[in-house]
Amino acid sequence: MSRLRVLIEGLSKDVVTEKYPYAPVEVPEGFRGKPVIDPSKCVGCGSCVNACPPNALSITDEGPYRVVRLFIGRCIFCGRCEEVCPFNAITLTREFELAVTDTADLVQEVKLVMARCAACGEPYAPLREVRKVAERLPDELRALAYLCPKCREVMASHYVSFARR
Amino acid sequence: MREVGAKPWFRRSTWVFHLNSGSCNGCDIEVLNMFAPTQDVERLGVKLVGSPLHADVIVFTGPVTFQALPYVVRAFKAIPNPKAVVACGSCACGGGIWHDSYNVVGGIDALYEVMESLGMPKPPTVYVPGCPPKPEAMMYGVLLARGMVEQRQRREVFVEEPPQEGLEGLSVEGLEELVARAAKAVKGVRARR
Repeated sequence: MSRLRVLIEGLSKDVVTEKYPYAPVEVPEGFRGKPVIDPSKCVGCGSCVNACPPNALSITDEGPYRVVRLFIGRCIFCGRCEEVCPFNAITLTREFELAVTDTADLVQEVKLVMARCAACGEPYAPLREVRKVAERLPDELRALAYLCPKCREVMASHYVSFARR
Repeated sequence: MREVGAKPWFRRSTWVFHLNSGSCNGCDIEVLNMFAPTQDVERLGVKLVGSPLHADVIVFTGPVTFQALPYVVRAFKAIPNPKAVVACGSCACGGGIWHDSYNVVGGIDALYEVMESLGMPKPPTVYVPGCPPKPEAMMYGVLLARGMVEQRQRREVFVEEPPQEGLEGLSVEGLEELVARAAKAVKGVRARR
């Protein structure tokens, strides 16, 4: 009797096998897929680089550009970068079909223009980041954001030493 | 390396040998899931074989620990040509979380460098990132090696346009003057030294 019941139950159910390569497959709710940097939002602050456990994200200064490089081949899809990004520039999409025949295709690069120091002219930080910082500073200190750290030190010591003038 | 739409690496059924090089078993469980009823990759002619001598494709997992290295090289030697490799998971693709660890070679590209020093050519390789990748993502990788699907992931490079001269986007009046004065002060201090 029980075998008959199993047979009836088995026949009443549909086929469980997916038709995957011929039909798209639904990913579950909250699935963490390919991370994507939104180049219009990223300021190049590097908080995601600090948070990334396998160093899939890296940040380098190449001449007049700061390069945020994401190598998906090493990414473990933990979502820490998404959590820490102060401008919500990096998000994990629902995309999972990431197979490639060359690792160069797994790289996403965002090159941001560096701000140049008003005094010495050296590039020191991405221009977008400098603007965001300058917005938050009080009016009398805002000019300091446009100096590189070394010139800022000189400026600060100058003010301390010659405060009366 | 093969371009999309070019001649596929394999025309007929691909027999797959699963090679674990010191992986955490996350990817290996997903490889087995690929052959389970829900995904059932055998309906597409992909079969899991027990011996490297019977295989066309190596499904490769793990960051290649030094313990596993001699056996991995032996298995690569045993598989007859033409062969292809599907590197599954972040560890196999780029070393993953172990990329700078002391006891691993660090991914399949580092393994190919070792194999090159032994005089073994680099087989065509499909990289499937994920930690672990979905069984469907692995299926996609195996089918990419067969030329049944097209590659979707591409390199993306964004280069920001440099702004016009001067300090753009300043909201406060007289800031340019302030910055100029600060710069002048710094230059004055530097000159006095």
